[in-house]
Amino acid sequence: MQIEIQSLRKVYPGGVVGLEGLDLTIPSGLYGLLGPNGSGKTTLMRILATLLEPTSGEARVGGYDVRRDKAAIRQVLGYMPQEFGFYPNLSAYETLDYFALLCRVTDKQERQRRIEQALGRTNLTQLAGRRVGTFSGGMKQRLGLAQALLNNPQVLIVDEPTSGLDPEERIRLRNLWAELAGDRVIILSTHIVADLAAGADQLAILHRGRRLFAGRPSEMLSPLRGKTWIIDIEEDELSRVRGDHFVTGVFRSATGMQVRVVADEMTHPRGYPAEPTMDDAYVHIMHQEAGSAADDLV
Amino acid sequence: MIWSEARSAALIARREYQLSCRGPAFWVVAAAGSVLALWRSSSSGVTAALAAYATWNVTVLALSVLAILIAASAAARDRREAASELVFSKALGNSPYLVAARFLGVWGSPITIVVIMLAVAAARQVIGGSPWHLGAYSNALVRCLAPLALATALGFSLTTLFVSPLAAGIAALYWVSVPLARGQLPWVADMTPTQHWPVAALLAAGLVSLTAALYGRALQTGGSRAPLGWAAALLFAGAGIAALGIAFSGDDTLTRRDPILSAMAAQRVLDKQPAPGFWSPDGSGRLVGLSDLSDRPIALAFWGPSAPESAQVLRLLQDAARKFRSANLACIAVCVDSDSGAAAPFADEVKPEVTVIWDRGQHYGDGERWSDSPLGLAYEVKQVPAIFLLDRHRRLQARLDYEALPRLEAALTQVVAEP
Repeated sequence: MQIEIQSLRKVYPGGVVGLEGLDLTIPSGLYGLLGPNGSGKTTLMRILATLLEPTSGEARVGGYDVRRDKAAIRQVLGYMPQEFGFYPNLSAYETLDYFALLCRVTDKQERQRRIEQALGRTNLTQLAGRRVGTFSGGMKQRLGLAQALLNNPQVLIVDEPTSGLDPEERIRLRNLWAELAGDRVIILSTHIVADLAAGADQLAILHRGRRLFAGRPSEMLSPLRGKTWIIDIEEDELSRVRGDHFVTGVFRSATGMQVRVVADEMTHPRGYPAEPTMDDAYVHIMHQEAGSAADDLV
Repeated sequence: MIWSEARSAALIARREYQLSCRGPAFWVVAAAGSVLALWRSSSSGVTAALAAYATWNVTVLALSVLAILIAASAAARDRREAASELVFSKALGNSPYLVAARFLGVWGSPITIVVIMLAVAAARQVIGGSPWHLGAYSNALVRCLAPLALATALGFSLTTLFVSPLAAGIAALYWVSVPLARGQLPWVADMTPTQHWPVAALLAAGLVSLTAALYGRALQTGGSRAPLGWAAALLFAGAGIAALGIAFSGDDTLTRRDPILSAMAAQRVLDKQPAPGFWSPDGSGRLVGLSDLSDRPIALAFWGPSAPESAQVLRLLQDAARKFRSANLACIAVCVDSDSGAAAPFADEVKPEVTVIWDRGQHYGDGERWSDSPLGLAYEVKQVPAIFLLDRHRRLQARLDYEALPRLEAALTQVVAEP
């Protein structure tokens, strides 16, 4: 299973550009989509989920065209949008039963098996009989994921799945991605880099509808190897260090503060080398994009 | 594939029905309807047919308006709960089967309320020691189906197509205006009478088909809907033809064309003179004439189920027929409502003692247009109930209105004593 995207463009009514000639190949495994709000992540996911028509370009899910083969794509698709709700009068089990019927699972025993499996995977078994109207945000989020798993999808698209989840649930979800990935495609959109750091096989960074990076996490990190540093500073030094270096993170330490910086050479006396992280790489890429945009303006 | 979709749709209809029946609105309406049914069936002299008719009346006048709003609320549920994208991303998400399934499920909700109301009315009859009449309740239920289908289709389709329950609200207002302004609106606009069920059913099916054809277009979710569009067009055309048929084949034309009916209407009723004759069909289509009843005293009552207080003359006539059996009293009840389907259970309740016949001619059930009925014209009936007592020589001996009903037995005693 593979998703191929060529020159994909989406312009909304009013001229707002969602995607600007995107090229991407998404192989099997966990694929992360990173980017700030408004970068085009949700637009891309909705096009792949056959909920939005692209303006131009092509996108194929497992060989099926998103314009012409919507029904075929939906057979193999599990989708969890960023914002969604359920019918509050139904229990979690009844909700999943309804959505399983929408997936054309007519056999009662098969439906029951799939629902129980989805409930188990999302840690909702104990809440199966409870009305969805009484669910917390995190529970709804998990139920949203459960409904996306009902048809045993070959392509699972989840948009910001960890928002509203407590740390334990987030870890549980990360483990679930690892369990589900394999020969299926899981596209995970997030603006939290840590969600992808643990297990993404590949990822892409989008910004203003364009691709800034696509590849393996290690490829994202490699340009920063030997260029990432930690500097121990006093609190009043921060603004000066910011002026002298490109800072990717600021942390408190037992003795004062630490800043992570990306630089070819370290001139600060309390600076020492560090292993680059995904956060460093992400912030660096976004900074480069901002710089080139500024250059374009000049 | 088609079988799989249809089977899924049937199961979804069941879930949709459960959803529609779970909300507090459903139980509020069901409770209010039950109280109303209890009240209408608790008055003295209320028979099963009258209780069932009252329930039907409440249904078509009030519950159908609520059905529009219930259906509109159900159709807006996906958007209201932000579940549209979850639904649309599923295999059956933009299928016309889903539209049909949801409509059927939602339609089940007001039907269930009618069943509850009828059950309450029947229980009241049983507890009160009155005979309950299954035919009357089932007749009322069946006659509710088409008006409720149209009301549900209006609320469901307009909300789905116009992406706003506002359109359904406007439809509900129109629906309310029809019975309120019946004298002014065309006869065919009133979907409540039995004979209009084909128009209501075709319109409902056409609306749902059109909705299914257009469903999902906003999200450009693909798939050809042309056959459904054609089906909707055909159904609407069928409804239009049926409506025109009702409008242009009204009994007014029949009255003008049929010399027998014209002659019947031209008769005049005079005290102590032979009463106007007639030749009208009973519930089984057999023609009953005054000449068939020679040498028998006759109690001839005009009534109509749309004036429920007039229906009590049926029970009075039945009692009189039993009491004056030795005098060979013939009891004839002339139904002047044109909604014959509504009157049939009443006729069943009082046979064989009372023969119910239908006056022909176009006459609405609102108390204002009975003058169009030929027999009503001949007997100068201004309001129902009206009872005319004829002696063995067909001479008019007494006429009684609603206030004079307590004097019926005394008047009959005098009439049967006439040589």
